[in-house]
Amino acid sequence: MTLLELKDVACCFGSVEALNGVTLAVAKGEVVVIIGPSGSGKTTLLRCICALEEIGSGEIFVAGHRINKTRRDFEQVRFEVGMVFQHLHLFPHLTVLENVSLAQRVVRKRAGAEAEEISRLLLRKVGLEDKVSAYPAQLSGGQKQRVAIARALAMNPKVMLFDEITSALDPERIGEVLGVIGELAREGMTMLVVTHEIGFAREVADRIAFLENGRVVEVGPPDQILLNPAHERTREFLAKVL
Amino acid sequence: MHWLAEQFTIFRSVFIYLIQAVHWTIAISVLAYLLALVFGLVFGVARLSHRRAIRWCAGVYINVLRGVPLLVLIFFFYFGLGKFINLDRFVAGVLAVGICYGAYLAEIFRSGIEAIDYGQHEAAMSLGMTRFQTLRHIILPQSVRVVVPPAANEFIACLKDSSLVSIIGLRELTRAGREYANQHFLDFHTWLVVGAIYLAMTLTLTRFVRHLEKRVAVRGFGANRDFT
Repeated sequence: MTLLELKDVACCFGSVEALNGVTLAVAKGEVVVIIGPSGSGKTTLLRCICALEEIGSGEIFVAGHRINKTRRDFEQVRFEVGMVFQHLHLFPHLTVLENVSLAQRVVRKRAGAEAEEISRLLLRKVGLEDKVSAYPAQLSGGQKQRVAIARALAMNPKVMLFDEITSALDPERIGEVLGVIGELAREGMTMLVVTHEIGFAREVADRIAFLENGRVVEVGPPDQILLNPAHERTREFLAKVL
Repeated sequence: MHWLAEQFTIFRSVFIYLIQAVHWTIAISVLAYLLALVFGLVFGVARLSHRRAIRWCAGVYINVLRGVPLLVLIFFFYFGLGKFINLDRFVAGVLAVGICYGAYLAEIFRSGIEAIDYGQHEAAMSLGMTRFQTLRHIILPQSVRVVVPPAANEFIACLKDSSLVSIIGLRELTRAGREYANQHFLDFHTWLVVGAIYLAMTLTLTRFVRHLEKRVAVRGFGANRDFT
């Protein structure tokens, strides 16, 4: 069953074409990793899916809902999609627990105690149960990442989007964050992951998509894309990053 | 010795006379400032609206009111509008000062909101929050930290500018001073005391603002100010 579908999606910023006809389908429970050089449109792609960017043409379906341009559609799609930003954007004036439970209360209308319980559960899952009353400024980079993941998960999204969340971490810390994502993958969460960590991509991906100049150059199982790419450009890119 | 005692008596009687008018100064400043807070918040947020018409209206309010001398505004509200509706001196004074300071506060609130990283808006929206929820739960609580010191300083300015309302005959501190000085030919003593009373109030407020600054600064932020 296809949970997320992009059909010929284009997105322009002025005269710059960030996305230039992207077509991609992600099945329920599938993990698709997107790789590609800087400026290839990876982040824009995620931003279009969670309706932070308006698409110029094409269609995006999330769990059967088409994202049109009305505000209601945007709010609907944000119910289905969880986003973890490259720069996280945790709420610095709230504790870890409040970061995770706020949207549950005001958006999902869960009672305070229920939201708190769910938050604690999620924070335990990402290994931060002892940090519930800390403020983001008191956490390490890896811990912040995990709070951001818990915050997105708390809304029970059907699809999770990760935008280069390991780019600001030192190598030692990357492991703990990737562990959390790996666990989500095993639980059957549908995910779209943008990363520069080729090793990680290979580990969690069901399929890898190589993006360049706002187009999907090729997509396929990790071994095929990484070891035996069909396109010259993919080969060049991999030769540089590996 | 005799001279000193005489001076003391004069200052004392001036002070006792003037202090009875202080409550008007305080009433004008406090009410005008409360009005200004409401206007400032509404127009400060409106200035950042995604609807152009709303942005434009807020811009007109802010730029017109900041560009006109407060004294002229006071005349306009009391004498100008007085041609059509009979406004009480006090009401006219509070309205003029409040609406004028609302424009200054709107700019302070606007910059306070803009000081918050746009990623905060996006994170809140990606969690499904509406614009209003984002403003209420995410942006404004963080802006407070940025906004409180300058906004509180505006109250001090507002208190001082309330003296302009004396021109339309409201017997607040400055007006009372003028009356007393004229009646008793004690200009030197009177204006010294008037100044001292204003100064006592503003200095107290300055200390209070500094205290407030410390309080809002600590909440939620460790030694480092990391916004990620």
